[in-house]
Amino acid sequence: MVSPEMQKLAEERAARMQAAIELKEPDRVPFLGLGGDVIAAYAGITAHEYEFDYEKNRAAVIKWLKDFPADSATGGLGGLDNLTMSVAFVDFPDLANQFFMVNGPMNDVLDMKFARFPGRQLDANSSRQFIGGKNMEAEEYDELIADPVKFSYEKILPRISNNLKDLGSPTSLAAMARLGMVKAQQAAEMGKLAQALAELGYPRGGGMTYAFAPLDYIGDHLRDLPNVVLDIRRYPDKVKAAAEAILEVLVKWTLQGKAAGAKTASFPLHLNEYLSPKLYREFYWPTLKEYILRVRAEGMNSRVFCEGWHDPHLDTFLDLPAGWGYVALEKTDVRKAKEMLQGHTCISGGIDVGVVISGTPAKIDEYMKALLGDMMPGGGYICGPNVGNLPRETPIENIAAVYEAVEKYGKY
Amino acid sequence: MRDELLKSFVDMDEQEAVRIARELIETDGGAAAVLDTCKEAMEEVGRLFEAGEYFLSELIAAGDMFNQIMEFTLPKLQGGEVASIGTMVLGTVLGDVHNIGKDIFKVMAEASGINVIDIGIDLPHEKFVEAIKEHKPELVGMSCLITLGVDSMKRTIEVIREAGLRDDIKIIIGGGRVSQAVMEHVGADAWADDAARGVRLSKELLGKE
Ligand code: B12
Repeated sequence: MVSPEMQKLAEERAARMQAAIELKEPDRVPFLGLGGDVIAAYAGITAHEYEFDYEKNRAAVIKWLKDFPADSATGGLGGLDNLTMSVAFVDFPDLANQFFMVNGPMNDVLDMKFARFPGRQLDANSSRQFIGGKNMEAEEYDELIADPVKFSYEKILPRISNNLKDLGSPTSLAAMARLGMVKAQQAAEMGKLAQALAELGYPRGGGMTYAFAPLDYIGDHLRDLPNVVLDIRRYPDKVKAAAEAILEVLVKWTLQGKAAGAKTASFPLHLNEYLSPKLYREFYWPTLKEYILRVRAEGMNSRVFCEGWHDPHLDTFLDLPAGWGYVALEKTDVRKAKEMLQGHTCISGGIDVGVVISGTPAKIDEYMKALLGDMMPGGGYICGPNVGNLPRETPIENIAAVYEAVEKYGKY
Repeated sequence: MRDELLKSFVDMDEQEAVRIARELIETDGGAAAVLDTCKEAMEEVGRLFEAGEYFLSELIAAGDMFNQIMEFTLPKLQGGEVASIGTMVLGTVLGDVHNIGKDIFKVMAEASGINVIDIGIDLPHEKFVEAIKEHKPELVGMSCLITLGVDSMKRTIEVIREAGLRDDIKIIIGGGRVSQAVMEHVGADAWADDAARGVRLSKELLGKE
């Protein structure tokens, strides 16, 4: 049972985030909290146990969120991007999103070439790894453009999954049947975690679903990043046509997430740092912008995680209507971004995980005080780490120092 | 023809650059001229990158052009024509599988005359030690793109020290997650989060600039 106090807390937390996105000043700065590999270490379990043992995972997440409460919940059974499979099964809305993240038990069944998990392909305490790779030749652009769904299913899926390499074979059918069993079990387990989170006063459903810039599908899953960069010069028209074809499929997929309750489309950007502003504006941004506008028209806001250095492209956000969503920044200076985007786009980030790992509580307090002092005024700011994963070795007193500082300096 | 090669290379006109290089190589002393011109072009691209006019997209295209041209140029060179200013063992550290930045840096370092021994990614500490023993480089380069890699670098450098090799080499670290603070934390000699600066510092460490 979720007590009325906890329900109220969940509403307050959600309202805080919403206010920031709407560029207002909430009662306190919304805080995303810290997390990552350190959650398992804090609970005294291995990364392997965290990724494969549902009960230990849940206990670790609950312990973490009880000791380090924030405005949104972090942790749980994570996974690696498996967008190819979501594209391949996009005509099955009950499945497409279920396949998006390959977690440890799912990978035991699918045996993906791009995936490595702790206690399997890696040491028990390693972080899971997405290793990417080239799965498509330049000559195949026409096939991709003609039908991204069919191409992803028939050509790419067999190339990335060892157990689906021969579609229709007993091995592949067995893998899909087993995948169904794993997903059913995980749905039950996830239900228990969701209930536990609600009892801790976290808004239900998390509210987020994934979305990707169409060119990132090509870079991360099909051609491998450096090849896309070369393709842009060698086959510019094909790259553009492919991005447009993929856009249609991905928008459909993200809206399936909305139908399942998500309010925010979350885009991690990958090719951004590679591209000159000219190439970014010509090849990357048009379909990304269109994507953001299309899901907005359906009532969703967007979170755009600008991985790496995004400085030369920041101004493109001004093409969007004010209050469209928020940017999460990694290497880009949040203060500079604020100068450009204040009153138009909410900004999240600012806590450099490097400082949390190697600093001291006193230094962190000073760092956080300065950060909040600069970023909070005027609203439109969500406080959070620049990347989501703190290593197992992160000193707990440093983490505590971040939370204490948010408590101390975070009131409006 | 050298000027045209230089111009088309720096302007990212891949087809032209490759075509002219193929023509130039057939002339007297052509292979050496192609090599020198391409090195000069890479240096110019690096300068434009540091000046903020070029981006990674241009570094990747330039690196690809350089490799394409070298494939048919290097076999035509006489031994003495490929002068090296020093050797570097280069790799991405344990736990980190990112290789794109390392590969870009590698081409630019090679173009500047450094003999680069690329030992791969996700490297156990001992691999660096073995490679140092085998190749006796003046420099060791470590690439690190993830926060988890910072501790790997620190431990790798400790292992190199334990093997008694630390004083024989200079260590430069690179990749998106390095900084002055990281350099001090892990005990390296220089750091660069862009390839052009990395090449400049490597040459300095070799006493060549
Ligand atoms: C491309 C990419 C990938 C590709 C890698 C493809 C490949 N073959 O390399 C794929 C999709 C496979 C991938 C996987 C993962 N990634 Co990744 N990835 C990126 C991304 C988008 C770009 C990195 C890149 O190539 N940059 C371009 C290169 C050219 O830049 P660079 O490396 O800095 O190199 C330049 C200089 O630093 C210098 N340089 C490089 N090396 C050296 C060496 C020396 C000696 C010198 C002098 C100079 C030098 O020269 C280069 C040119 O100027 C970044 C985000 C970002 N923009 O940083 C995330 C990022 C690095 N990835 C990240 C993560 C977490 C992962 C995964 C762990 C995800 C997962 N859970 O599986 C896995 C990696 C598994 C592992 N353990 O390594 C995080 C790291 C966060 C952190 N602080 O720890 C980042 C920052 C994204 C984020 N969340 O913000 N990734």
